[in-house]
Amino acid sequence: MKHRTLAALSQSGGVLVVAIAVTALAARVAGQAPSSAKPLPAAPAKAAPAAPAAKKWTLPRTPDGQPDLQGYWTNSTYVPLERPDKVTKATYTPEEFAAVIKEAASREAEQTEPGTVADVHYDFTQFGLDKSQSAFVKNDLRTSLIVDPPNGKMPPVTPEGQKRAADRAAERRRMGATTDAVQNMPIGTRCLIMAGSGPPMMNAGYNNNYEIVQGPGYVMILVEMIHDVRIIPIDNRAAALPENMRQWMGDSRGHWEGDTLVIETTNLNGKNPFRGSSENMRVTERIARVDADTLSYKFTITDPATWTAPWTAEAPMTKSVGPIFEHACHEGNYGVTNTLAGARLEDRKAAEGAAKKTSN
Amino acid sequence: MKHVIVGVGVGLLLMAGQVRAHHAFSSEFDVKKPLTLKGIIVKWEMINPHSWFHLEVKGPDGQVVEWMIEGGSPNSLIRQGVTKNSIPIGTEVTIEAYAAKDATNKAVGRNFILANGKRLFVGSPGSPDAPPEAAPAAPDAAK
Repeated sequence: MKHRTLAALSQSGGVLVVAIAVTALAARVAGQAPSSAKPLPAAPAKAAPAAPAAKKWTLPRTPDGQPDLQGYWTNSTYVPLERPDKVTKATYTPEEFAAVIKEAASREAEQTEPGTVADVHYDFTQFGLDKSQSAFVKNDLRTSLIVDPPNGKMPPVTPEGQKRAADRAAERRRMGATTDAVQNMPIGTRCLIMAGSGPPMMNAGYNNNYEIVQGPGYVMILVEMIHDVRIIPIDNRAAALPENMRQWMGDSRGHWEGDTLVIETTNLNGKNPFRGSSENMRVTERIARVDADTLSYKFTITDPATWTAPWTAEAPMTKSVGPIFEHACHEGNYGVTNTLAGARLEDRKAAEGAAKKTSN
Repeated sequence: MKHVIVGVGVGLLLMAGQVRAHHAFSSEFDVKKPLTLKGIIVKWEMINPHSWFHLEVKGPDGQVVEWMIEGGSPNSLIRQGVTKNSIPIGTEVTIEAYAAKDATNKAVGRNFILANGKRLFVGSPGSPDAPPEAAPAAPDAAK
């Protein structure tokens, strides 16, 4: 099976992404070039220090001076978006958090009961898909990703937001069983988009990895799941999309504020709601390189049609392993066909059974 | 007509260790049809969203029947160092599975158990519980 390179992933971005990849590779090489200091001519030879002090980390930059955010990152974490009901404080002690991780990891490793619906699934641990087998953000001891409101929970939902949720639920019921038609299946099952793509980027069940590549005027974020790509212009070269043009991941524009990349996204099509959001949600993301292995990632949701106030979460990312194997979801999605075929066979059997009964 | 897309919803479909019944696995495979398949792996499609193992099973009549068994996304295993050469063609395996509802030779593999009793990939090179002397597999006959 061919292992695709980033260049091959450029199908969705065409030549542009290839160009960015080439530039980014050059940037990485340049960024790693060591500087050579000339020794002082008349000074006596200095002995090398026996235990050199830890070298102060300096923020790497791309050749055009952008802070270098590039690499493979994961936002996999044991910190929930919202603070659990029983918890009142903002941070766990290290011991408390270790207990949280231990409990979650043992729940993941739990074997299901044979003959139950939960058992009708491959074992996640055999495929390394449980959280504990992959890189995850380790030094974040908070009790919620949400930092504002200070209670660690999303603000109240507006009446309009509640009605929208009820309407969506009613529409799902009206459409019928998920096994009746592919259009009734969740959009992730249909390989359209996954929750973690965002914006905002949020960890989902597994494969919570992203690759960031930068080039002059653009930042590209590759989302592992369903290999979604966000190409974000950062130098005002592109006018904002008109109101009526809507996209699955919205329309993003970035700019630097100091060494923080600020990305504003609007023009979502509302078909992949984030926690019940409307299509007019505005997402503001702030990404910065904290150290060699860490990105800070902060997002603010502004959606007055859904929440009574904007709210903000911090979901840092830690270094992950690359390259990212292409999650070519649709091409391998035998599951949808199998599910529909199985349901139609059951329908036929039921119809035959009913016909026998009436003819008796 | 306003086209309503069914959202992913709060019960995220892929939460490892939770909500396993989601994603229609119990619609695709029959909880009332558990089976144990013993055979050799002749192909592993390392694809997404789920990988598929092709198993040749010898029936009591000596006839060989090919089964297709659904497994997980290979992406995390690949990060752990698993490659297409990690499972040589002909690897013996016993798979505890549930048969597909469409009456074809397909199933979802709950447990993949190797001839030495170990479960597939648990302890693969690079995984947290990898044995210290994880020896590479015999020269592969895989394509």
